[in-house]
Amino acid sequence: MIASSRTSVGTIMEMKIKDTAEGVVDVALIGRLDTPGVAGIELRFTASLVPRAARAVIDMSEVEFIGSMGIRMFISVARALSKKQGKLVLYKPQPMVEEVFNTVALGEIISVQPDVASALAAARS
Amino acid sequence: MAGTLRGFEQAFLELRGALDGADLRPEGRTRYHVELVFEEIVGNIVRYGAPQGGELRIEVSVDIRGDRITMTFNDDGIPFDPRGIGAAAAPKSLAEAPDGGFGLTIVRRVASSMRYERAADQNRLLVTLPAL
Repeated sequence: MIASSRTSVGTIMEMKIKDTAEGVVDVALIGRLDTPGVAGIELRFTASLVPRAARAVIDMSEVEFIGSMGIRMFISVARALSKKQGKLVLYKPQPMVEEVFNTVALGEIISVQPDVASALAAARS
Repeated sequence: MAGTLRGFEQAFLELRGALDGADLRPEGRTRYHVELVFEEIVGNIVRYGAPQGGELRIEVSVDIRGDRITMTFNDDGIPFDPRGIGAAAAPKSLAEAPDGGFGLTIVRRVASSMRYERAADQNRLLVTLPAL
């Protein structure tokens, strides 16, 4: 499934649900998680994971930018999932995105993994 | 720019175009930091700056000079000095993690200085970053 979101002046944030093997959902986010990008994707991202209490791994390799609104979105979805015995794991962030994760110590509360294999293992644990 | 989500998005596109022209390439660390400061400062103004029921104008300029970059933000919103906001504590658990407050933590990490003044009913914030 591919969902994309076009905001008023044309920025596209895309979301692809790639796979749902062994009870883990693999979602790729593509684009910029800045204020307009988050505004465009947050509802769909949340609605596709939280109601089904997903164990989800999020492919970050094509997210070129994240700011505090993107961080807030991940914390909010991860918290909602953990209340329902689901889980959110992020993997393969680009170096600058990872720098932002480190600035806010995101790895202390959400698992951030270097590749899909370690992300899947973390999601099942 | 208009202090709205649409104004934000248009201005962000213009900024990125201008940075391309100024040879701050998209893959560079300095470029990312400039975009982060824009995202967090303008985002805060758009979300919280408008007087009740009122509109908001924001002016942003970026001055790239040698080894430092100065970003200036002027807005006619409610008085707000972001230097007064403490850094968000590192969250210890998901349940305790705050939803917000990370924006200024991020700005402080990448900026070398922040100056603020309120004059003529305008907020004026100068953020200086090292060109890495």
